[in-house]
Amino acid sequence: MSRVPALLVTHADLGAALLRAAEQIYGPVAEVEFLSNSELSRDDLEEAIERRVARWEHGGLVLTDFPGGSCQQCGMLATREHADVLVVTGVNLPALLDYLHNREQLSVAALAEHLLTRARDSVRVQRAHPE
Amino acid sequence: MSWLNQRVDDRLVHGQVVVAWGAALRFARLYVVDDPSAASPWERDLLVAAAPDVEVRVLTVAEAAAAWAAERDARGGAMLVLRDLRAARTLVEAGAAVPAFTLGGLHHAPGKTKIADYIYLDEADREDARALLRRGVRLEVQDVPATRPQGLAVLDPSVAP
Repeated sequence: MSRVPALLVTHADLGAALLRAAEQIYGPVAEVEFLSNSELSRDDLEEAIERRVARWEHGGLVLTDFPGGSCQQCGMLATREHADVLVVTGVNLPALLDYLHNREQLSVAALAEHLLTRARDSVRVQRAHPE
Repeated sequence: MSWLNQRVDDRLVHGQVVVAWGAALRFARLYVVDDPSAASPWERDLLVAAAPDVEVRVLTVAEAAAAWAAERDARGGAMLVLRDLRAARTLVEAGAAVPAFTLGGLHHAPGKTKIADYIYLDEADREDARALLRRGVRLEVQDVPATRPQGLAVLDPSVAP
């Protein structure tokens, strides 16, 4: 199975920072692009995403930071003609690490579901002291 | 008066609108006034899904002009967002008595010059701004509720009518 490509689309420099953090845990990361929405209109951000996903021969994942934001909406607008590209939103560091560990083993759809589960499971309330 | 804020923002519905302004104004209805979005059921659905806690109405500029007065007298609060100053001017010239617009995001494009970090205008934008100001419509620059609004004509004296 070939490696599933991914594009991180986030507010400010969150995508770049997530990748730097992932590299500290995973090691050097190749072939993950990131894009910030800073100073981009809706149309320009959509075009910037579309230009990148159009290069993917067998689909891939657009990873965005939060639902309802411009990154997620423009991800949806940019990929509507690309049936083999999925948008995953609400991505966090555990999800990104899960992507890196599984991007050569799973299909686009299976990988999306896998990292969705990891992202959800990683958000927890924990108590280090007795109630 | 149900209208709480009318925003010019080329990102339409996004985090600043839904999260920051939503928390500050607690509007019940969000009018997305945009001819291209209103023409596409798929894009309307996308906009509706982006603000799940409020009622989203995606209308053409002409439809919004017709709905303005009825919404003004409705219960609950409403916010309106459109993508550029041309749509804002068209809305007012079509009969909507909009007292003010908040310029929340007009991003860089070729031929546009910087007014604020998130506001870039070209001559066509300025002409639309002048037309609105001549009608007595206030134009303020403000991205999120926590920042101080500034008059557009203060930041860019060339738009003063």
